[in-house]
Amino acid sequence: MDSFATVISVLYQFATNGAFLLLSALGLIVILGMMNIINLAHGELMMMGAYTASIAWHRGVPFWLCAILAFVVVGLFGALLERTIIRRFYGRELGALVVTWGISLILSQGALAVFGPFLPAIPIPGGSVAVGQYSFSVYWLTNIGLACLLIIGLWALYNHTTFGLQARAAMQNAAMARALGVDTGRIYTLTFSLGAGLAGFSGALFAPTVSIAPFMGQQFVAPAFITVVVGGATNVITGAVGSSLLLSLVKTPVGFLLGAFVGTVALLLAALVIIRLMPDGVSAVIQRRIDRRNRFA
Amino acid sequence: MSDHSSQDRQSGNDPQANPSDVSGGTGADRRKVLKLMGAAAGVAAPTYLRGFEYTRSVQAESSGPVKVGFIEDESGNLSVYGIQKLHAAQLAVKEINEGKTLKGGPDIGAGGLGTLGSVAKNPPTISKEGVALDVVDAGGDKSINEVVFDEDADVFVDSGDKGILGRKVDLISVDGQSNNALWQQLARRLIQQDKVDVLVAGFASAEREAIRPIVDQFKQLYFYTNQYEGGVADANTFCTGPVCEQQVIPVVQYMVEKFGPRGYTLAADYNFGQLTAAWTKAFAPLVGGQIIAEEFVPLSVSEFSQVIARVQQAKPDWVMTLLVGQNQQNYYPQAAAAGLKFPMASTVNMAQGYEHKRFKPPSLANMHNAIQYQLEVPTARNRAFVKRWMAMFPNDQYIGEMAQNTYFTIHLYAKAARLAGTTDQATLKKALELGWSIEAPEGSVFLEPGTHHCAHYIRLAVCDENHNVKFVRDWPSIQAWWLQRLGVNLVRHPEYKQYTPDEDPYFKMFLKKS
Amino acid sequence: MPRLLSLLSGPEDVGRSRWFWAAFVAVCIVLFVSPLWQSEFEATNNAYYLLNVPTALGLALLWGYCGILSFGQVAYFGIAGYVYGIVAGNMVGDSAGPIVGSLCGLAVCAIVSAIFGYFVFYGRVQNWIVPILTLVLSLLLETFLGQTAGYQWRVGTVQLGGYNGMTGIPAFQIGSYVITGYSFFYFVLIIVLVIYLALRLLVNSRHGKVMLAIREDAIRTELLGYDIRARQLVVFVIAAILAGVSGLLYVQWGNYITPSQVGLLQASLPVIWVAVGGRESLLAVLLSTCALNWLNYTLSSEGYQYALIIIGALLVVVMLFFPSGIVVTLAREVPKHGWRALLGWGDGAGK
Repeated sequence: MDSFATVISVLYQFATNGAFLLLSALGLIVILGMMNIINLAHGELMMMGAYTASIAWHRGVPFWLCAILAFVVVGLFGALLERTIIRRFYGRELGALVVTWGISLILSQGALAVFGPFLPAIPIPGGSVAVGQYSFSVYWLTNIGLACLLIIGLWALYNHTTFGLQARAAMQNAAMARALGVDTGRIYTLTFSLGAGLAGFSGALFAPTVSIAPFMGQQFVAPAFITVVVGGATNVITGAVGSSLLLSLVKTPVGFLLGAFVGTVALLLAALVIIRLMPDGVSAVIQRRIDRRNRFA
Repeated sequence: MSDHSSQDRQSGNDPQANPSDVSGGTGADRRKVLKLMGAAAGVAAPTYLRGFEYTRSVQAESSGPVKVGFIEDESGNLSVYGIQKLHAAQLAVKEINEGKTLKGGPDIGAGGLGTLGSVAKNPPTISKEGVALDVVDAGGDKSINEVVFDEDADVFVDSGDKGILGRKVDLISVDGQSNNALWQQLARRLIQQDKVDVLVAGFASAEREAIRPIVDQFKQLYFYTNQYEGGVADANTFCTGPVCEQQVIPVVQYMVEKFGPRGYTLAADYNFGQLTAAWTKAFAPLVGGQIIAEEFVPLSVSEFSQVIARVQQAKPDWVMTLLVGQNQQNYYPQAAAAGLKFPMASTVNMAQGYEHKRFKPPSLANMHNAIQYQLEVPTARNRAFVKRWMAMFPNDQYIGEMAQNTYFTIHLYAKAARLAGTTDQATLKKALELGWSIEAPEGSVFLEPGTHHCAHYIRLAVCDENHNVKFVRDWPSIQAWWLQRLGVNLVRHPEYKQYTPDEDPYFKMFLKKS
Repeated sequence: MPRLLSLLSGPEDVGRSRWFWAAFVAVCIVLFVSPLWQSEFEATNNAYYLLNVPTALGLALLWGYCGILSFGQVAYFGIAGYVYGIVAGNMVGDSAGPIVGSLCGLAVCAIVSAIFGYFVFYGRVQNWIVPILTLVLSLLLETFLGQTAGYQWRVGTVQLGGYNGMTGIPAFQIGSYVITGYSFFYFVLIIVLVIYLALRLLVNSRHGKVMLAIREDAIRTELLGYDIRARQLVVFVIAAILAGVSGLLYVQWGNYITPSQVGLLQASLPVIWVAVGGRESLLAVLLSTCALNWLNYTLSSEGYQYALIIIGALLVVVMLFFPSGIVVTLAREVPKHGWRALLGWGDGAGK
């Protein structure tokens, strides 16, 4: 019976690692997939979401509402950023990278200057569930569920709504989409806003588990970027899911057997190797397979 | 010269010629020249002008203000600790300038009271709310053997002096921004340019080690006031914070006695964590305990589900958590949410980053910490100290141990300077090596002459499930004996290094092979 | 020799005319003579600003002239510093120690960057992936170095030291003459000047032209018959060696290095210096590196907590209004249009 509990524990860790990577990277992938912009301020957007959630929670707002509020607030902020700064950098990926780095510096240092070194913490909602000698946090189980829901929601958004259709058209060929009457400017603003909102939402979700401080975003930067790089820009959904699963598959056994540090190193090395083998990311490989099947259908 | 003219001809014919040559001619070039010279001068000059603005002129050492150099991280990740220390220094300097001091004087040696500990059968419980140290539960009778909490309150006395030797004390404080290269530059500036009389600086060991070579190069009198992993034997440096043998050993002994022999260590994966874990591992077998496993967590990890699973699999009696930094502190709420109920031991929590106030109960429940000071120490002298602090800084949320260390260290410096009759640094080092006792808010502190470290008043703090604090055991004085065992005597043989446990064969002797 | 001078004065950097060179020589003379009125403390400070220049020049070469953005310069900075510390630390007392240590440091930089570059360039990864991968490499290095605290992490007699860092790194010496203080300032000044002039020769040469072609359109260059992967790799290695030179000078300046030197914030600093100055000009980068380091030091030693906010804001403003960099834009546009036109001018030319 102990081994059954161990199996459950490993599965739980696998799912938690995957959910963590997915939630960290989702906002980044949406923006990258649409506009080919690396948003180095991603960590700070998550921080904004966590701050929003903390401030709201301490005014008595229930936690699930705080998370949605974080989504809205950071999404609006993202729209503002896009309109004023980001849109001048379309087609200039490296320039966008540098300017978003500047924005991240301003945001994190500004948060320190305005709010001080720490915000009061949010307690982790929910209790724990025990299986054998292991106990699992209900909160993380909820997060795993939320990550799945988000992915399904995004898939529905991209494949079954007008916005999604227009967004995919703009992704494939912006000029042609404009010629067909799609307002690409609005699409870009909405997409950046969505990506920022997702980052804020994830930040709010992570807020109970971390110290709410100006530099908390930095701990998510590396996992988010690695997930994005491995995922690739070809298809947002498959890239995010495939990459999170693949990387979690590497990190979980290594981390369980050898400790957290080796798990982190394994993650980084795996990313390097995967990129060498699949330069365009997991999503490209999956896309090619789908295309091939369609061709021969 | 002929080369120049051939260049001109070539540039004229070159189809990719710089537009300025085509259009502006010498006018544009002259503008460029002026711009470049201006830029170069602009780069070089302010380094000289800055000298005018910030350097106090070098005066004879018997007049002018006494300069206390102070470097801490006032911005960046460690600012929550750095700002506390800055406030401590400001409070101390203000009190010295107003003619006040703490009781104390030169003392030969540190006394051997280290092992005299008593058990509190029913101590009072202090609330974590606010800073008034409200007593949540008064506990039982207090007697000499049952933790005396009514100590001599009258330790804050007149010094008979205005400032130091009649000279005003100036606190020159700069912000290290958690950037080690900047720390080095700032240390050089304070020592070489501002010529400070004493340097009080450093939170992390990395910061101390960054500036210690500079301190040694210029023989600067330097106080390091933080808890650290121990081992610094440096004739110019006085470490007034607690070290491993003062904190690790008391808490490990308590945990083994109370909860059982099997301990699990979770430590931050850097020097402090590694060395403190080494101490824990070496000492536990000597009191019948055993560290069954150690895990070193990188400072960047904030997601602990795998770490928690491994702890659950090992099923220890207690967990030694040596987690540092804002990412790693998330272990506590996550472990509590995952239902981890093992008692915890530490030397770093509560007293530095006030986690029991920042995290919601019961994250830190059953946390045992051997500390020399935290805000909640319920002695009369500490209540008076907290009152004085909050009068000057009403918005502060906490007074941590290293802030208190900074506070009494600066008072100690003032007392030594008064005794020596001078602020000459070489003379002052000798004066400090008399051995000093000072009545700090934590209790009596002794500065040991040979090791340049302090014997501290150690208490065992326990955090309950509401995050209220009680002190269940105290040791009125524990020496920093490790350097003594290594044979360090800086009075006789000046040294300038840091020892590691590796260099002490006693760490490996007498370990039972199990 | 005339050919050399004509290369030196080619079109690929700001400033070519006779007046420019006169000013350049004048500034050099001023710098060489400056220790006369500067204290040793100020001279060592200036040396610190200068020693960051090679790493920025390497990034300018890589990014401005070849179109590859790399966050990894700090990784090579750190590698060279640590290797020098290990080798020279083990050879204390041996006067050849620092020289051997320096050569080893540079050699290890070259090897590591060659291997990493092979994976990246021969794998033909997309352009936007390179910055992220180099960032990952730097983070990996920082994580690894940070956990070397235990005393089993020593090479010979030298402890790696983990987050405490490696202390007691010996200064550079030639024979029995130890280079510190004023002599160190001259040492750095000479090295920086030599590197700058050598790079200027490189970018104006034939190889430089091919680099520019790769930046403008890599596929077209490949179709013209050049092996772009090999050339990108060579430039990457050169940039790494330059970062290594900075690393060596840094440990010889401070006798100390920690893993935070290769961390996230440090990784972005060269990018900021190059972006603000103007990545397409070596001179611009040289000026902006010195200026920004001076600015950071002055702001923070003034007790100003907003140093990093100001630098972030500066970066955003520069990227919006001076995309080619402040110095480059001034050098190119002001002679053309005059100052008045500059004020009414919004978006910059070029990428």
